[in-house]
Amino acid sequence: MPLINLPAFAGDLLADFERMETLRVDTPVIQPAEPFLDMAGEDLRRRIFMTQSETGESLCLRPEFTIPVCIRHIETATGTPQRYAYLGEVFRQRREGSGEFYQAGIEDLGEPDTARADARAVGDAMQVLANRLPGRRLKVTLGDQSVFEAVIAACGLPAGWQKRLIHAFGDPKQLQKLLAELADPKSAGVFGHEVERLAIMGMLEDEDRLVAYIAQTMEATGYSTNTSRSPRDIARRLKEKLELANTRLDKTTLAVMREFLTLDLPLADAPAALFGFAAKSGLKIEAALSLFDARVAALSRAGADIGLIRYRAAFGRPLDYYTGLVFEIEIEGTAAVLAGGGRFDRLLTLLGAREHIPAVGFSLWLDRIEHAVATAGGVK
Amino acid sequence: MTITIALPSKGRMKDDASAIFARAGMKIVAVGNDRSYRGRVEGWDDVEIAFLSASEISREIGSGAVDFGVTGEDLVREGLADADARVEFCARLGFGHADVVVAVPEIWYDVDTMADLGDVAADFRARHGRRLAIATKYWRLTQQFFSGSHGIQLYRIVESLGATEGAPASGSADIIVDITSTGSTLKANHLKILSDGVILRSEACFVRARKAVHAEDPVVDRIIASIRAAL
Repeated sequence: MPLINLPAFAGDLLADFERMETLRVDTPVIQPAEPFLDMAGEDLRRRIFMTQSETGESLCLRPEFTIPVCIRHIETATGTPQRYAYLGEVFRQRREGSGEFYQAGIEDLGEPDTARADARAVGDAMQVLANRLPGRRLKVTLGDQSVFEAVIAACGLPAGWQKRLIHAFGDPKQLQKLLAELADPKSAGVFGHEVERLAIMGMLEDEDRLVAYIAQTMEATGYSTNTSRSPRDIARRLKEKLELANTRLDKTTLAVMREFLTLDLPLADAPAALFGFAAKSGLKIEAALSLFDARVAALSRAGADIGLIRYRAAFGRPLDYYTGLVFEIEIEGTAAVLAGGGRFDRLLTLLGAREHIPAVGFSLWLDRIEHAVATAGGVK
Repeated sequence: MTITIALPSKGRMKDDASAIFARAGMKIVAVGNDRSYRGRVEGWDDVEIAFLSASEISREIGSGAVDFGVTGEDLVREGLADADARVEFCARLGFGHADVVVAVPEIWYDVDTMADLGDVAADFRARHGRRLAIATKYWRLTQQFFSGSHGIQLYRIVESLGATEGAPASGSADIIVDITSTGSTLKANHLKILSDGVILRSEACFVRARKAVHAEDPVVDRIIASIRAAL
């Protein structure tokens, strides 16, 4: 397909990608909508362009490349490790700007050396941006889902609370709300009358009896044939909820979590600061931190300008397939995100891959980069 | 300028709306026969009545094809993005009450709040290999409430255009978002409303399309004042 509206630097960008040992792939513009809605949630529905096939299958115009590239990888049964590059149009309903624009990026699938692959994703993104925008100072914000998860786990919260907090990572408002609830003994969970009855009947202590009772009630009400939550699911979560309601964070633990979330410092100083924080607060999070440390070391070895990168502990993405590294790149002093990426070790299995395939990647907003190049004018 | 008011074309809604208009000194007469879809208002020569279905009314107000309409707030908020910027709710008419609610199977003893539902939704995929499915015809209201107000992203909407309450028992969805007035249908289907699960307390409203020309037309203000005085 001849594309005459490509950004002028598209050719140079692709040449960069080739030097970065990637395989260029393309994916159809018209995609099944299910995987996108399944992975990103219903909220995406408002922002994509949807249509239907004659047989009623939901289709959409490609809203991004990561999922199609991963699906293609699974379907073609290509071996790993494999680095893919893409450049093409994506379609999204946006408040500002056109609904169709170009994105390009790299997806690195199956590289077993996590630190190295992470460093390469960040380094490559910085490199291609620096090549397009010589003389402009980049600002990279880096976060780490696995460090956050390790801190939460080490604080000794019940599993239900850990899940809630992990789920809210990257959504500062929701996270603060949850921390406030954890600190406040007034906000115990709400329980229906039924639960009181179960308590009186002594069923809450005996999981097997509770399961049998729920199964029996489901049978009587016609709910036993559906494929939804099983009696065991309901009984277990009820127990978990009783635990949740009885958990209060002591002030020290809450202060530790709040202190962690305020960490915001140059990446070069982050490993020492994190190890210091762990030692001071008595948290056992060495495994996550050594991975973090190895990534910083790998970035230095790869020759990336580490001075441009800041680590922000609260920086994350509220999508449940990100598992570790997350990052964004802007030009210092401007608000437009030019590149974003991260590690998504769960995505390929969710999309149907048989074996576990670790993955990390990034995508570039070419329209914003084009704008930045244009406004740079004669600046050297 | 002729002002067009869209009214429900049949049923209780039509009768209740006509009664309020009569009390407001705006007696509605059908043009031609009783079944006609056009009408006029006695003594108001520059006002015209269009009888439409309730969901059409919200759409026509949204596009500005009519100036006023009587329709359910739920239909307006579901049908229009950014409803408050495009229409003005001039008066709540006191009939057609219905709540848009989140309801889950009664047997979900562990789920009584949206926070509980958030926990279940977050875990659903890992346990069942698919997302939590919500049967509803209220896509927009559901998204706003789940994502906007409660930070719940991980669910799927299954479109349901009728008998939504039956979806959980039949297995085509796990929970529902639907309207209820007395709650008896929910109860009959062994569903319960979450304690913080009322998305919208809807009733019939007198709604104006926000059109610039209305500012210069004294009839517009007179109509609003008359309806408000009749309540």
